[in-house]
Parts: sequence; structure tokens; C-alpha cells
Amino acid sequence: MNWTKFFVAFIAAFGFIFLFGFLWYGKLMHGAHQEVPTLWRTEADFGNHFSSLVFGHIVMALFLTLLCARFVPAGGAGACAVLGLLVALIYAGADMITFAVQPLTTKILCGWIVGDLIQFTIAGAIIGALYKAAPANSMFVKERPR
Amino acid sequence: MKRFIFAFVAAYIFIFLWGWLLNGVVLKDIYAQTPNLWRPQSEMMSLFHWIIIGQGLVVFSFVMIYASGFAGGGVIAGIQLGVLLEIAAIGMRMGFYAVQPFPGKLILYGSVSGIIEMIIVGAIVGAIYKPGPVKAVS
Repeated sequence: MNWTKFFVAFIAAFGFIFLFGFLWYGKLMHGAHQEVPTLWRTEADFGNHFSSLVFGHIVMALFLTLLCARFVPAGGAGACAVLGLLVALIYAGADMITFAVQPLTTKILCGWIVGDLIQFTIAGAIIGALYKAAPANSMFVKERPR
Repeated sequence: MKRFIFAFVAAYIFIFLWGWLLNGVVLKDIYAQTPNLWRPQSEMMSLFHWIIIGQGLVVFSFVMIYASGFAGGGVIAGIQLGVLLEIAAIGMRMGFYAVQPFPGKLILYGSVSGIIEMIIVGAIVGAIYKPGPVKAVS
């Protein structure tokens, strides 16, 4: 593991995920969220739980970076973007389950799914562009299709 | 492809049963503490197909990631993948906790059960899915 590049990739991923989340979910989707105000904390209460939001983003960025390092040791924006997209599909599935049990609007569901797809695909690409494993760890094998 | 489908179906059945047992039975009383955050039972049932599709998407993506980058490592690699994905999901859950007034213990129990769930899913997928013969590329 190339820890310096890993750390740089993690910081960049965290910065992007946090900024994108603020713009997409906090600003762009603010109106859609306000259609179901009972689901959200008040501004003051949100301020009291802000540390959970920051820590949650750190955890997401760290483990997405770990996943990319394990999944694509040679790095590369394209391969890690594909991994980010697959991870986003997991979150999109979770969003659909949430939609079935919480009184969200269809607009919110669509916004969350599109946001996840953009956010994790780009975050994966950023990590892949910045992270490269040490050359000794690299290997290239091709799996025969079954 | 056949093993991909077997792994998908086995993991899907497990996730479906686990989700029902955990959310429908074990955590029922905790959910009842915040009724304003949830749809009424009848409304949930009318949207049940979203749960089926959502769980299917989660399992499909999991098996895809495993087959693309972790296959060959067997059960251990499947468990590793499950743990990595679930800890990232705990991060997402903490983000939701910051903006929605969930009880703290719902997040805690959900996260602990999520780790167990994904360890088992990883083990199932790792045990069933096997990569084809490896061809070296010169």
C-alpha cells in the first residue's frame, strides 16, 4: 500500500463528497426536502449533530478509498469510477428501501439516486486518478468469461 | 454466469429474510418510538415492490463488485468486501442521523446488524461464486 498517495486520495475524496453533498442535498434539493418537514431535524438540532455528518463523510471517504486500493491496486480513474458506480448502486438500492418505509416524495427518491450515482462515480474517479499502489504489488490477469 | 446467478439468489434470499426478521420483528418497538418518520403499515405494503427492487439492486451490485475484483479470494475475500462496504454504509447512516431525528439506538443496532448481515452475505457470495480459469496476458 502506498500510504502517501492513499492519504492524498482519501483527503481529496472526502473534500469532494462533502462539498458535493452540501451543494446537491443541502442546496439543490432543499426545496424538495421541505415538502416533508417532519422528517428532518430543526436547524438548531442539526447544528448539534453536525459532527455526525462530518464523521460519517470521513468514514465513507476512507472506506471508499480502501475499497479502491483493494479493488484496483494499479489505480486508474476509469476502473475506480466503475467501482464508485457499483457502490452508488448499492446506495441507490438502499434509497429505494427507504422510500418504501419513509414518507419521502418521488422527487426526493430520484434526487437521492441521481446524487449517489454522480457523487460516488466522480469520487471513485478522483481516488483512481490519485492513488497508485507500489509497482511491486501490481499484477495483471485476465479472467476468461464463463 | 451460472454461479453469479446462484450467488445472487442465495444472497438475496438471506438479505430478504434478515431484513424481515430485523426490521419487522426485532427492531419493531424502536421504530414505534418515532411513528412520524415512517409510513403507515398499509402504505408500506403498497410500496413493497420498492423493497424487493432495492434489495435486488444491493445484492446485484455486491456480487458484481465481488466478481470483478475479489473473486478468487473465496469466503475471506467476500467477508472483507462485506465489511468494507458496510462500514462505508455506516458513514452514510451517520449522515442520515445528523439530518433525521432517528433514535441513537436505532443507528447503533442497525449498524451492528448491518455488519453481521454483510459478513454473512460476503461469506455466501464468496463460497458460491468462483472465477473461471485465469488466462495470463502477455
